[in-house]
Amino acid sequence: MIRPTLAAVVAVAARALAADVSSPERLRRVDPAALGYTYAVGTFAPEYAPPAVGSYTLPVIQGVRDHPLVDADGRPTTLFALKHGRIAVVAFVYTTCVEVTGCPLGNAVLKRVDDKLAADRDLARRTRLITVSFDPERDTPARMAEVRALYRPSASWRFLTTRGDADLRPLLEDFGQPVAKLRFADGRWSGLFRHVLKVFLLDRENRVRNIYSVGFLGPELVLNDIRTLLREAPANPPPPADRPASRTMAASAPPPAGARGPSPRRR
Amino acid sequence: MRTFVLIAVLLAAAFARGDETCLSPYMPKITGQEDYVYVWTLGVDGVGDGSDKLVTVGANPKAPNYGKVVSTVSVGGRHEAHHGDFTDDRRFFWAGGLDDSVLYVFEVAADPAHPKLVRTIDSFVRDTGGVVGPHTFFALPGRMLVSALSNERDQGGRTAMATYNNDGKFVETVWMPDKAEYGYDVRVQPRLNRMLTSSFTGRQNYMRDFGALVADAEAMKHFGNTMVVWDFHARKPVQTLEVPGAPLEIRWALQPRHNYAFTTTALTSKIWLITQQDDGSFRAAPVADIGDPKKTPLPVDISLSADDRFLFVDTFMDGTCRVYDVSDPHRPKVVHQQKIGAQLNMVSETWDGERVYFTSSLLANWDKKGKDNEQFLKAYRWDGKRLAPLFQVDFLAAGLGRPHIMRFGQERFYKNQIFEGS
Repeated sequence: MIRPTLAAVVAVAARALAADVSSPERLRRVDPAALGYTYAVGTFAPEYAPPAVGSYTLPVIQGVRDHPLVDADGRPTTLFALKHGRIAVVAFVYTTCVEVTGCPLGNAVLKRVDDKLAADRDLARRTRLITVSFDPERDTPARMAEVRALYRPSASWRFLTTRGDADLRPLLEDFGQPVAKLRFADGRWSGLFRHVLKVFLLDRENRVRNIYSVGFLGPELVLNDIRTLLREAPANPPPPADRPASRTMAASAPPPAGARGPSPRRR
Repeated sequence: MRTFVLIAVLLAAAFARGDETCLSPYMPKITGQEDYVYVWTLGVDGVGDGSDKLVTVGANPKAPNYGKVVSTVSVGGRHEAHHGDFTDDRRFFWAGGLDDSVLYVFEVAADPAHPKLVRTIDSFVRDTGGVVGPHTFFALPGRMLVSALSNERDQGGRTAMATYNNDGKFVETVWMPDKAEYGYDVRVQPRLNRMLTSSFTGRQNYMRDFGALVADAEAMKHFGNTMVVWDFHARKPVQTLEVPGAPLEIRWALQPRHNYAFTTTALTSKIWLITQQDDGSFRAAPVADIGDPKKTPLPVDISLSADDRFLFVDTFMDGTCRVYDVSDPHRPKVVHQQKIGAQLNMVSETWDGERVYFTSSLLANWDKKGKDNEQFLKAYRWDGKRLAPLFQVDFLAAGLGRPHIMRFGQERFYKNQIFEGS
């Protein structure tokens, strides 16, 4: 499943690059090793069965605030309005990313999670997959709609962007997702971003319960984590059905209770 | 078509070679020549300001600051500065003090030549429920995993691992299991969902004068003899391995399908191989002696080359680095041996395998006395056969202190620059 998805992503990225990168000739003269983050090769391709659902706990890592977003149809919404009390998997991407360990990997895994959710309507009703672009300049709602059409989400996967840097920066800082424009020595932007792939698992109370990165982002693990969180007693009842996105900014979740006190893992 | 070629090149670039080999796999690596070596340094009374400090040394031979101290950041006081490492995005360097369990966070991204102390966490013992002696700092996505050596109640070897998020907020404590209660290093192999921990000794031993400690037979009984295999995701111990003699640094093999790790035992002077078996469990076995174990050369830090071929092993007492060919991990062979100084502790190898850096200090009260108390950072070129000196910094003459762990930095990485070739 991942292979055709990656191929399609590369095709979209190619079109975007051809349209947007002002100096592809310059990029071809760049040492490829300098373009993306580099990781040890021996840590990829998971070779394990994830621990059983409910056999472990996921401590609270941090809380996040609500943030304004724009959906792929150009409608304003917010993070919490999209979540609406569900568990959420939030990935930050840019659609022209061509790092094999970057956004294409994140999208491919979310595609597989989306497929699995589609086969489990109850789980899909309680979960939201959210892909947010950190390149609002190029990743317009129309571009996000194009990507949405490419992935053809079958469950509850949404594609979002922001109105611009004023909304984007606080969002990235809140999640702890640094991104930086990769520039030529003369200061001109190459059209590429340097970023660490991070995918965030949010619980129903909008607290980060896991952060997946290269080497540990697998659909089965993500699904097990979602199911593990669902076994926790809900602070709020699950939503009865999909509701229209609200423009109202929800209040931030209170500070996580486990962040300072004994965690479930502590002896 | 041209764009597709570009994309193919970009995709192929994802596994290019970068910098030091022992970092968390969650952390992106710098590529090419390092510009700086960051050295977390113990303060010495009467040497400079006497405080623990992060020392930045120029490491690029094309730069005017090559082999020179570029900057220092004192944290004030002596805390038994020991280990440290970057966050998963390499923007911050976390370091700890074994004596009073204070954590320091330096920002390196804004100006890699001049790191700044941006956060001090003095609540580690309270946060963690009584854990003492933060040792290994291991970057996880958005978090820092910190192993430890001791506990507040009896200052012995029973200890735990702590996790903080990158903002410095405490997340959780995971105590070591019964009958394997000592701690030291922690290393994760994400591909296998396995975490390995090793074991040393408690604060009442590691803060004691080395000569007095060795003469105390009862105290010498209180060293760890175990390693623990964990389900990393669940943070649950799944297997305890008997590895007698204080197994210290852990290095997972770096190549695909190499499902093994190395450690060395400080008191029994052996290389141990921890291998995954066909049934998924792990087995630990001694695979080589390090020097003459009867003379207790005290192996300390190790470094595994990126191709899993060479294992550099430092021994403190004889100040020697032994390079083992571990192409066959079950049969390490010494291919080179070289005395680096009167005493020797840490070793850091670049990912391209061409440069190897050494520092001298083990612990403030364990370092040698008198003229043998050499304190240095030394850089060598490794050509696969021998170590050729590049530069050295005398940390006592420079008024710095006792140099311990090293990490690499690079201007280009932090400035997000790419350069066109000719």
